[in-house]
Amino acid sequence: MEILNQLLQGFATAGTPINLLWCLLGCTIGTAVGVLPGMGPATAVAMLLPITLKVDPTASMIFFAGIYYGAMYGGSTTSILLNTPGESGSMVTAMEGNKMAKAGRAGAALATSAIGSFVAGTIATVLVTFFAPLVAKYAIRLGPPEYFMLMVLAFCTVSAVLGKSTLRGLTALFIGLAMGLVGIDQISGQARYTAGVPELLDGLEVVLIAVGLFAVSEALYNVLYEGRTVETENPMSKVHMTKEEWRRSWPAWLRATAIGFPFGTIPAGGSEIPTFLSYATEKKLSKHKEDFGTKGAIEGVAGPEAANNAAITATLIPLLTLGIPTSNTTAILLGAFQNYGIQPGPQLFDKNSGLVWALIASLYIGNVMLLILNLPLIGMWVKLLKIPKSYLYAGILIFATVGVYGMRQSAFDLVLLYAIGLIGVVMRRFDFPTAPVVVGMILGPLAEAQMRNALSIGEGKWGVFIERPGSLSLLIVVVAVLVLPRLTKLVRARRA
Amino acid sequence: MRSPQTLVGVGTLAIGAMFMIGALTIKSDAGYSGVGPNFLPWVVGIVLLACGAFLVYEARSGGYREMEEPSGAANGHWRGFAWVSVGILANAALITTIGFILSCALCFVLAVRGFKSAEGRLDLGAKAWLIDAAIGAAIAAPVFWMFTQLLAINLPGLTSTGWL
Repeated sequence: MEILNQLLQGFATAGTPINLLWCLLGCTIGTAVGVLPGMGPATAVAMLLPITLKVDPTASMIFFAGIYYGAMYGGSTTSILLNTPGESGSMVTAMEGNKMAKAGRAGAALATSAIGSFVAGTIATVLVTFFAPLVAKYAIRLGPPEYFMLMVLAFCTVSAVLGKSTLRGLTALFIGLAMGLVGIDQISGQARYTAGVPELLDGLEVVLIAVGLFAVSEALYNVLYEGRTVETENPMSKVHMTKEEWRRSWPAWLRATAIGFPFGTIPAGGSEIPTFLSYATEKKLSKHKEDFGTKGAIEGVAGPEAANNAAITATLIPLLTLGIPTSNTTAILLGAFQNYGIQPGPQLFDKNSGLVWALIASLYIGNVMLLILNLPLIGMWVKLLKIPKSYLYAGILIFATVGVYGMRQSAFDLVLLYAIGLIGVVMRRFDFPTAPVVVGMILGPLAEAQMRNALSIGEGKWGVFIERPGSLSLLIVVVAVLVLPRLTKLVRARRA
Repeated sequence: MRSPQTLVGVGTLAIGAMFMIGALTIKSDAGYSGVGPNFLPWVVGIVLLACGAFLVYEARSGGYREMEEPSGAANGHWRGFAWVSVGILANAALITTIGFILSCALCFVLAVRGFKSAEGRLDLGAKAWLIDAAIGAAIAAPVFWMFTQLLAINLPGLTSTGWL
């Protein structure tokens, strides 16, 4: 009952005209960046971080959240209509979506992904509403050793489990941790790696790193290597689903929500795994196996899209209740909270309950807005795909400038932005993942503080991490996550 | 393909070494915890050195493992890259003197030249320059007004009116 009361209050806050406007603006920008190739929600949120200087936290978090899940709706449009996916979670949608579009059923594919996203997003929001306070209540009992272990788990999964090469994932993670070291040490107040430059005392700016690594490097990579890459667009058809298509879609939506949600809540990052799992499940259960990979199976679009949205919504649980980001975008959202001096974590539900519940309420509202933006108004977004690549990327550079310059008013930051863009090009060319850099940079200082607090509790003994049952079991999970995949690989190789 | 990979490994080694040297100058007042502010810097330095060494080893022994083929062309289009680079750096150099709108429009025009040249349809005619400059200004101006007028966030202008 208490939860419903708080949720109602959240609706009252999120429902004020100004906050509704922020929500709508966020959803619209989110859909646009989802549709536009070369830009993702992480980039968009990073570029708009300067608004945290002036806009109040509730409004800007509603706005950013709108961008975050709006991009997931928009991404499916691109991956169905173009033969290149807009954002990574939509890669799987592209497999069947493209086939359907080529067979002249783009409209049905778009409809099932938009409605599926809505269904999954809404169910996931209900689950967040009821589970997040529970998790927060439990998390309040966690001490520094447990927090540190949770963060180590997040580091491991984002760097070593998700990518293909552990070595390159680790390199990326430690580059991120190195970036996070710059600035004043939280515990001792000592300056580290500032080289006497006063601007560096506050640390490296998140906007700078994220925009450089995602937006500028994307533009530079494109001009260097992809000038001759020609994108082909599939024909659009009427956005409509037949009865048969409805019947095939809805079980896929529900199954996918059940698959996607748990993956979002654990610090395992990204929506790639649940979307692939959902695709595999639908392919296995489908009565129309012959459609897969030929004329396109609607289940293969409905499932992954719903799984994607459920996972994305669920990532808010670790972010809000533990303060642990599990993806690029949530890492930057954490940065946005920090700009306000708010530290997400179990206390957030007590200290900033107004903000949290308004944010959760806005998810319900946003999902409805997005359904409208993405079904009747789909034609508007399809037109965005007609923007020539040269204008698109040159325009992104302008937005990058606003974000970076607006944050610190320093022209030198623009030179740094270019340098980080170059690093991003090298990383992309040599297949280094970028998510560990951003997660490492933002979560690194927090993890370091937790580790040192934990060791203070243990009076300098590392045994504190194995003496407490909570942190010991988390440690076992970390080891399992690192060892098990390799062990199974080894065993399989032996048998073969 | 081998030698660039080695170079990336060496770069990682250099960053690791830099952080190690930096760690030497950080005091170690550890307090109760036994680890001070210099602990993580040492860890980061050592791990980056190790990663760099492994990257060099992989590069020298048949190339990086489990590499995904990078998308796009095998060779970079450096002329287009130069246009875009000049655009971004000119923006950095000029933004405080000629203001956000003009500087961004210039960056836009130069970057568009780069992308067009990468697509093999570079047009250096005066008309194309003018059209692209107008488009760049039409993107930059509303963004500028939104930030300066609506959000009251400082962006540099040619004049102090907040409109240009």
